[in-house]
Amino acid sequence: MQRYILSRLFQSIMILFGVLFIIFFMLQATGDPVSLMVSRNASPEEIEAVREAMGFNRPLIVQFGDFIAGAVVGDFGDSLRHKQPAMDLILERLPATVELATTALFMAMLIGIPLGLLGGSNPGSLWDTLARGAGLIGQTIPNFWLALILIIVFAVKLGWLPAFGRETWQFLGITLPTRSVILPAFALGLFTMGQLVRFTRSAVMEIRSEDFVRTAYSKGLSDRQIYIRHILRNAAIPLISIIGVQFGYLLSGSIYIETICSWPGLGNLLAEAIGNRDFALVQAIAFFTSLVVVTLNLLTDIAYGLADPRIRYGD
Amino acid sequence: MRKPFFATIMAVLAFSGFLWAPAAAEPRGSLRVAIATMPNSLDVPVAAERQATTTAWHLYNSLTWLDDSGKPVPALAESWTVSEDGTTYTFQLRKGVTFHNGEPFTADSVVFSWKRGKGNKMQWKKKWAMAKSVEKVDDYTVRVRTDGPNPILLRVIADYWAMVPPKYIAKVGEKGFAKHPVGTGPFRFVEWKKGDRIVFEANPDYWEKGLPKIKKLIFRPIPESSTRVAAIRTGEVDIVGRLSSEEAGTLKGLKNIKVITYPVDRVYYIAFNNMTSGKGTPVENREVRLAMNYAVDVDAILDALFEGHGRPLTGFVTYKNLGYDKDLKPYGYDVKKAKALMKKAGYEKGFKIDFACPAGAYTNFEQVCQAIQGYLGDIGVEADLKIMESGKYWDLEAKKELPPMFGDSWSESSGESLPRLQGALGGKSASFSAWEDPKILDYLKKIGTTVDDGARAKLYVELQRYMYENPPFIYLYQPVAFEAINVKVKNYKPRPPENYFLKDTWIEE
Repeated sequence: MQRYILSRLFQSIMILFGVLFIIFFMLQATGDPVSLMVSRNASPEEIEAVREAMGFNRPLIVQFGDFIAGAVVGDFGDSLRHKQPAMDLILERLPATVELATTALFMAMLIGIPLGLLGGSNPGSLWDTLARGAGLIGQTIPNFWLALILIIVFAVKLGWLPAFGRETWQFLGITLPTRSVILPAFALGLFTMGQLVRFTRSAVMEIRSEDFVRTAYSKGLSDRQIYIRHILRNAAIPLISIIGVQFGYLLSGSIYIETICSWPGLGNLLAEAIGNRDFALVQAIAFFTSLVVVTLNLLTDIAYGLADPRIRYGD
Repeated sequence: MRKPFFATIMAVLAFSGFLWAPAAAEPRGSLRVAIATMPNSLDVPVAAERQATTTAWHLYNSLTWLDDSGKPVPALAESWTVSEDGTTYTFQLRKGVTFHNGEPFTADSVVFSWKRGKGNKMQWKKKWAMAKSVEKVDDYTVRVRTDGPNPILLRVIADYWAMVPPKYIAKVGEKGFAKHPVGTGPFRFVEWKKGDRIVFEANPDYWEKGLPKIKKLIFRPIPESSTRVAAIRTGEVDIVGRLSSEEAGTLKGLKNIKVITYPVDRVYYIAFNNMTSGKGTPVENREVRLAMNYAVDVDAILDALFEGHGRPLTGFVTYKNLGYDKDLKPYGYDVKKAKALMKKAGYEKGFKIDFACPAGAYTNFEQVCQAIQGYLGDIGVEADLKIMESGKYWDLEAKKELPPMFGDSWSESSGESLPRLQGALGGKSASFSAWEDPKILDYLKKIGTTVDDGARAKLYVELQRYMYENPPFIYLYQPVAFEAINVKVKNYKPRPPENYFLKDTWIEE
């Protein structure tokens, strides 16, 4: 197990270095941020002075070296637009994205897993039709479109939910979510819900026809016992990996959903930073989200190894 | 004896406004404004774009202010005098004004704000550096000197010179100031939840008596315009701006909502280059450029893409700018005349030329450029249109590396077109200019040193007539802004630069 974890850890670090390399050089390729930082009435001399002051006139490789040295300690420099450390801006926005991602994942699990179970254990039934429909819809409807429709229906027409923004509730010093998270979380979690329905359904269907399930029936165990002890336990293994990967994707902040719903999270910050060619901030967010995804994948791999001995020994 | 004495006291009290002055109405209610961007800062010299500066200005004052007609009027300076040669302004400051932290506003605050504002890290340092020096004469008098006469100084001061408290900044530092900004303005800072809301409250000690009228002012960033439309419909916000004409259309006729439109101080144009890429090409020919102006049907473009909203331009000075020449008429769509001009220029058979426009930078601008490409084709000009990512585009524009024809837009907040004219036509000394015409440069120099408004207006008119006969651009249109407010919002007055100041706006209960 130790060797398995170490090799996964090493792979993760290599991936992060690759990510640093890509985000640095790709962003450089999009052009010079100086022209966006000066006023349009600036003279050529002023533009040159800004370029020098910001260090953009140094050789790329020197800038890259500085960038890596900073990145290792979480320092991506000051955001060009906000004139504040990029990491501080990310940490300010993180709670909103965590709230949204966690709620989205819970909603997806609460709907997706039971529906997949019901569909998988009663193939061809009404439940199964529902499950297949939900899986298809979840994976095909563009979530930004859905968010707009949900706003029109639930905020404008029915008035049940707010049209935008994040309201929180303070209880004993803890920040708690309010109904303002429901709409963006549902739209964001829809894709994950679709995946969970499909994978749960097919896992249950596959396991139901396994020999050990037949044996369990012939032993005279009840449906309930068979589902909890045998089917669910085995179906959980593929679900762990889906949930882990999906949570990483949700946590990296959704540009579309957060922008449409004016949710003050990382995705919203990223959209703004890209629009302003705020180099330092885009790099910091890209790296931060890669770090989150890679870490969650690593944890998923480990959990997977713990749950399924075949994996850790096979490595 | 008693009667006159009593009468005297009454008269004194009445005169001082002590007895019969109606109790000033207390600020009431809260006003929620949707803004389309996330302000980067609430510190005016750092605030990066119009909506950020507009939000920030509610906390501050400057020495001067622009009234609703765009004229500079006294603010923290009660009065000022200008020296004969137009290079020295002496401002008499208002007494008894305090910052939100209780610190008194004096000449020291002005000197400190100026030194800070022209600092290297400040976004708008150039606007502060228009003054060569700012000195304290006594506690309530400051002297501002400029290199040469500067006709727009009072406007720039009103637009950019937000006064900040020196002692407070010395105590909390720049970081502390960014977290909790303090000014002398009608509202004071309460909280800023990044990306979510900015909350201000009425400043009870504000020096303009009876203002502000709103108790709580809340700005909510909503970047997506269809969400802004939803938010005004649900009543979650009271003012939304930056809507498209279609979006404004869906709000028309709804109960509780009023749609507002007004012309924006912004021009759209296709620029020609005679400095680098356009050298030796037909765009250097005056008749060719005139022909192109006649060949493009601006009205049809406005009808097709903007539901007819917008004004065709006659030049670079917009309607309502100082010196706007209302006698000039747009060229109009006249293919015959355009063809005749092409023939006169010796290009009867037309020519090929490169043409570029930015993507995603302005509403429908890609389609506008495609339409122009089509119109030019009708007179034999085969324009090879490239639509480029806007960041890259502005890079190339600043380096003067765009093709001989390129589309762009320029807004202005000072109420005068001079900064825009200097920026786009300043030749070598202006980064975003690709055009050099000695006669235009000469006019710009004259306008830039004429302090008298009337004389300057005359020069603007002369320049417009020259630029009408010798166009350095294909003049397109001045756009219209669409906003919507809740009907209970009263006295909301957005201005042509798409900004607004809410100190005398109120909410009807």
